[in-house]
Amino acid sequence: MGLQIEKTFQVKEPIDQVWSVLSDPRKVAACVPGAQITEQVDEKTYKGTISVKVGPSVTDYKGEVQIIRLDPQNHEIEILGKGHDVRGRGSASMKMTGKLRTLDGGGTEVTSISELNVVGILAQMGSRVITEVSNIMFGEFVKNFQARLSQPADAPESAAAAAKPISGASIAWQAAKGVFRRDS
Amino acid sequence: MITKTSPEVGGMGHSIKRKEDSRFIQGKGNYVDDVHLPGMVYGHMVRSPYAHARLKSINIEKAKQLPGVLAIITGEDLAKANLAWMPTLFFDKQMVLATGKVLFQAQEVAFVVAEDQYTAADAAELVEVEYEELPVLVDPHKATDPDAPILREDREEKSNHIFHWEVGDKAATERAFADAPVKASVHAISPRCHPAPLETCGCVADFNKATEKLTIYLTSQAPHAHRTLFSIVGGIPEQNIRVVSPDIGGGFGNKVPIYPGYVCAVVASLTLGVPVKWIETRSENLQSTGFARDYHMTAEIAADQNGKMKALRVKTLADHGAFNAAAQPTKFPAGLFSVCTGSYDFKNSFCEVDGVYTNKAPGGIAYRCSFRITEAAYLIERAIDVLASQLKMDPAEFRRKNFIQPDQFPYKTPLGWTYDSGNYEGAMNKALEMVGYKELRKEQEEKRKKGELMGIGISSFTEAVGAGPAHTFDIAGIKMFDSAEIRVHPTGKAICRMGTKSQGQGHETTYAQIVAQELGIPASDVIIEEGDTDTAPYGLGTYASRSTPTSGAATAIAARKIRDKAKKIAAHLLECSEADLEWETGKFFVKGAPSKSKTIQEIAFAAYTNIPPGLEAGLEAVDYYDPPNLTFPFGTYICVVDIDKGTGEVKVRRFVAVDDCGNVINPMIVQGQIHGGLTEGLAIAFMQLIDYDENGNVQGGTFMDYLIPTAVETPHWETGNTCTPSPHHPFGAKGVGESPNVGSPAAFVNAVVDSLSHLGVKHIDMPITPWKVWNILKEKGVAS
Repeated sequence: MGLQIEKTFQVKEPIDQVWSVLSDPRKVAACVPGAQITEQVDEKTYKGTISVKVGPSVTDYKGEVQIIRLDPQNHEIEILGKGHDVRGRGSASMKMTGKLRTLDGGGTEVTSISELNVVGILAQMGSRVITEVSNIMFGEFVKNFQARLSQPADAPESAAAAAKPISGASIAWQAAKGVFRRDS
Repeated sequence: MITKTSPEVGGMGHSIKRKEDSRFIQGKGNYVDDVHLPGMVYGHMVRSPYAHARLKSINIEKAKQLPGVLAIITGEDLAKANLAWMPTLFFDKQMVLATGKVLFQAQEVAFVVAEDQYTAADAAELVEVEYEELPVLVDPHKATDPDAPILREDREEKSNHIFHWEVGDKAATERAFADAPVKASVHAISPRCHPAPLETCGCVADFNKATEKLTIYLTSQAPHAHRTLFSIVGGIPEQNIRVVSPDIGGGFGNKVPIYPGYVCAVVASLTLGVPVKWIETRSENLQSTGFARDYHMTAEIAADQNGKMKALRVKTLADHGAFNAAAQPTKFPAGLFSVCTGSYDFKNSFCEVDGVYTNKAPGGIAYRCSFRITEAAYLIERAIDVLASQLKMDPAEFRRKNFIQPDQFPYKTPLGWTYDSGNYEGAMNKALEMVGYKELRKEQEEKRKKGELMGIGISSFTEAVGAGPAHTFDIAGIKMFDSAEIRVHPTGKAICRMGTKSQGQGHETTYAQIVAQELGIPASDVIIEEGDTDTAPYGLGTYASRSTPTSGAATAIAARKIRDKAKKIAAHLLECSEADLEWETGKFFVKGAPSKSKTIQEIAFAAYTNIPPGLEAGLEAVDYYDPPNLTFPFGTYICVVDIDKGTGEVKVRRFVAVDDCGNVINPMIVQGQIHGGLTEGLAIAFMQLIDYDENGNVQGGTFMDYLIPTAVETPHWETGNTCTPSPHHPFGAKGVGESPNVGSPAAFVNAVVDSLSHLGVKHIDMPITPWKVWNILKEKGVAS
């Protein structure tokens, strides 16, 4: 199942400070709920895991994250992540393009365009549920990202708040609410 | 004409209450999952998340260590016993458990057996399977592209093409098209749907090591045929296998095939020597067991300017999924699809079907349908409306002009069928009258002026059921006769055992009514037993609306054999010659002296207590009935819809169903069958789709996505009937279970298209969801 998800949010920090976080996959991963970088393979390649719980279904993806384009001048980054569930429940890949833009007041606008491809048990939930799950995860990510920005630049990754998987029940319930809200 | 018995006897034509319902409504039914045997253990299936992937490794170590786990079976284990693959019912083979690679999402990969079902499910989670994803083939139209991945590496032929089948006179049809001034065509998809019976599939396999007898409690529509297949495939002597189909919670064709879970449970029981239960979950049923349809069809009709049809040309692509597991008579790769000339007098026709493999669940089963008849009826009834609309003719009048006439029967169709009897115009006239057709057309005209959307859809279908004559029909080589055995007890009560198997059709009532009709023994005194292969006579089971045409006929013939013997006994008791006796429901009497008579009960008692010299004791008979032809039920359905221009919702305002299934055994049961089938037809037309995304992920694998109609969605059904008996059936019946599912989808779709035809809409594919309609309304600029 292929999905394209575009998100934009704004932070008060200046563009260079935001870029220093966004351009480092380890720092970004620490903000993604349930994600962890386990190993750096080379300058551009990392190994990691992400756990996604939807209702009773837990999917633990294990895979690689690769920076395929890094453009510090224009503040753009393109990342490709690919993973397989450790219990053989399916696979997922995501190509994410992140862009920064300076706002009039000195803050920064962050835009991310993600092309998500999910195969397996999770994909059977249908695109509406997957989109809602992504929305919830992204909301958590933004919170964590903002928290990370307020930390000193060299703070250890563990300092980022709440970088653990959100509870299965809550994510399913919130996703369900999202689906029904949109339809009513 | 059928002589009507008294209500106390309850023969044919009486709406007696269903005998089986007293246990069902009290929760006393006995389904496979109700079977609990001492020492029973449980199986759970590990399934593939991928639609197409190489199987790199299976690690069962963690799963094995979970306390309570007894065995884990993989494809490699089965391969050692030559059981990794099994034959399908249609000249193909399918994997029991995957070896090498997987070919559809939810394919069976490993079977975990544990002391309880929760441990089995937990252990299945611990089985680690490593896959390497392969390119996925979802679109059947791309199956034979040069760059399509070859799915079936096991086959010699390195192609995704399964079969090409054609019937009819191609050259004559081409000529008719070349000469015709009017031509119309429609491309219509009969989408992938699923029977979704209330009870999912499952079994309890119980191998007794001491007696070497294997008993399988099975959700089976065809227990005898399954016993034979288990024996042939598994190498177990057939006398050592007993298949028991207890109460079955709906089949609709889904319980005709043999599934990997059954085989795994049998293997596990043979290995462990204890009973093994395996019951599917709802999602497993929807995602892996026999789907229906997935026919991508084009129909072209040639006609003259007056609307008289000359020729029909049909080209179809059939998506069979990963294995050709269609449950069809072996001479018919596309089932009885060639009944697609329908109720109309075409002089020429040509029909061709190509089957292909894709990375989807296997099947192509006959969902409440006599082998691809639903697809055929839908296509012709849709094409008729397209042509009528093109000629600006009223669809009812257009049908009237082209119907096969009553005096043309027996009618030979250009594609080789011989219709037994019919009066198509009679059924249509009755439906038109019931619905008030002329007034509705006037109302529609006025509504259109006001910009309101209302449509009337007609479907005048003809079915071919009751497979079938031994010269033409067999399933896996076994001829499609069916059987009945009647034993009359000394006190005049009877037990009757059949080769068929009810899944909700009401056999315990209707077969008893046939015995009541033929012997005068009250239906309440007759017990019907089916489904135990150790006791019932051999038969091919219940599907394709075949029970009444085959076992029903066998019941009547067996009863008549009993009546012949009863006559000999009566002559002995009345001290007269057989020639002096006459039969009246329930008794023989001496011609001219009606007071000198013996009832069937008195005769039965004498059969055990006062046997005439030279005659065997007892009063029983068996009949294996080979029907001389199929039967051809028909009818006209008319649907009236209103469309909500704001939401695209289609509201079925009225639905009139006039069925002609020949002589009726129990009118109430027939009506119940029609209500059920129409409701399923409604769901197929508007709600249901087993869809796949581009990676082969099932998008209709739960009841969240695959919708089941409830009382809220279901309109009020108005039913009526005409009666044109089958000339070759012993009591003139034709079978009806599937007619409403076969005939209704076209009526629904025709009604929706009719409501939008003035906007230039010619066809909409099922399921017609509000979203689809709303998009059309938006495109045509009429959405509000």
